[in-house]
Amino acid sequence: MASFHGNKINPSRFSLGQLKFFVFLVPLGIIMVLPIFFIFSQSLKPLDELFLYPPTFLVQKPTFENIGSLLTVADITRIPATKYLFNSLMITLFVVVLSLVISAMTGYALSKKQFRLRKVLFEVNTIALMFVPAAVTIPRYLVVEKLGLINTYMGHILPLLALPVGVFLIKQFVDQIPNELIEAAQIDGATDITVFAKIVMPIIQPAMATVAILAFQAAWNNTETSTLYMSQETLKTFAFYMTTLTSTVGNNVAGQGMAAAAALLMFVPNLIIFIFMQSRVMDTMAHSGIK
Amino acid sequence: MKMKMKKTKREAMIGYMLISPWVIGFLVFMAYPLFFSLYMSFNKVMITPYGIETHFLGWGNYKDAFLVDVDFTQKLFLFLKSNILMIPIVIVFSLFVALLINQPIRGRNLFRAIFFLPVVITSGEVVQELFSQGAATIPIVEKYGIITMIQDNLSPGMAGPIIGIINQFILILWYSGVQILIFLAGLQKVNTQVYEAAAMDGASPWVTFWKITLPEVKPFILVNLIYTIIDLFTNGFSDVIKLIQDNMFKANTGFGYASALAWIYFTVIFAVLLIFVLFFRNKDQSIRAARRS
Repeated sequence: MASFHGNKINPSRFSLGQLKFFVFLVPLGIIMVLPIFFIFSQSLKPLDELFLYPPTFLVQKPTFENIGSLLTVADITRIPATKYLFNSLMITLFVVVLSLVISAMTGYALSKKQFRLRKVLFEVNTIALMFVPAAVTIPRYLVVEKLGLINTYMGHILPLLALPVGVFLIKQFVDQIPNELIEAAQIDGATDITVFAKIVMPIIQPAMATVAILAFQAAWNNTETSTLYMSQETLKTFAFYMTTLTSTVGNNVAGQGMAAAAALLMFVPNLIIFIFMQSRVMDTMAHSGIK
Repeated sequence: MKMKMKKTKREAMIGYMLISPWVIGFLVFMAYPLFFSLYMSFNKVMITPYGIETHFLGWGNYKDAFLVDVDFTQKLFLFLKSNILMIPIVIVFSLFVALLINQPIRGRNLFRAIFFLPVVITSGEVVQELFSQGAATIPIVEKYGIITMIQDNLSPGMAGPIIGIINQFILILWYSGVQILIFLAGLQKVNTQVYEAAAMDGASPWVTFWKITLPEVKPFILVNLIYTIIDLFTNGFSDVIKLIQDNMFKANTGFGYASALAWIYFTVIFAVLLIFVLFFRNKDQSIRAARRS
């Protein structure tokens, strides 16, 4: 199914005619994948290799020393690492699901529903995207405090839900759906929910998957809410925990190895969610029936 | 007539209902903090044990940014110089890649995944780690003297930005993930029969690109322009943003001054965006006019 593209036939075999594309794609593709090898190789490097100059790209004598020392340090802190992990998983799950629902609803309404503030709201959203996030830190703290969200899970989740980029992307994709398609469905008796589930959702899947990845990263890598809004250690996130682990050892030599291991540990879930999502990202226009 | 009134009203009501969670969240966590920071940018803000104290300064913070602060204007200018050139390059590059991976080639899905990969790399700690290890430069370029060659053959004013682009080439690749996706979605919408008809009429791939593909993806170029500018200018690597963050907790400058810097920066980004969008629109119109004649 996935390989069917109208009249284009996806060749199953390499032919000479494709060579000109590969000349560009292969080198560029390699550059794209390199960082991932780098992260893995870096975390496996023994200390002397980490400080080697000029630095080598790939590890020569791989060792699990860095990961081991990260885990030992994790052992001697009071709160088990699993608690932080649980916090992060919960927060990430809620942020991804809720921001998908909110962004999809908003993007759909801003694109296809007629009401007065429609255009203004979308422009306000785009303008808000341009603002330096750091500059609203203190006012946002005041808001969080006033709402009584300090030291609650909600304090982690709610500030992250305002993901203007999600609304921006989804609205752009919904714009591509012809109004006639929706009207035709409505004439056939489809309700708003049916229209949304059967027509809009399949078409905006690439955008939804992208927003899911972006929201996942925002939540998973988030240390800001832990530093600012949480004073109770048991409520902080795994990302925050990782930064404390590497900073307690200080900027000394051993810390570098642990930082590399922590980077790997933080990155792997990103990679997993990417692999899980990417098949949804690229190939959906073919089935949408709006060619 | 009456029926129609009812229907549009109902439409509007559903619309408002759908956006209300977002609007509330936006007002509380974006709009209010934004206006609060605007207010603070006109004040001297001190965080004391008794709470936040403010003294009204008028335009004082803004004047300081341009007249007293040696770092800010310099960093802002440098940042603009190196990034404005990157915007069209990211756009052209991502369109190029999108065209390639829209071709019927073997391993297409794999390539699509690979070129979307930057989305998980460029955010968060990962890219920070990569930068500190110097993984974002291409060693080959320096090894084979490409940079010195450029320096020898071009005027310093020309060579500077070009070398900057070569050095940042990997960065450009990494910042095009979402843009490639947006272009790809646009390309997949083009009716394949149009291409066939063009080929029948003897149009070369080059002509087909300018006459069919480009007009079709035009709306996506605008979307990508906005996305690229936002992505480049508000990520954590901007020296200007780092400067703003540093100023936030300095005793003699404080949050008020940092807010003023943030608003100046915001105005600059907005101006850049406006220039690009207006330029793009003008171009668009002239192309259309040319086609009509």
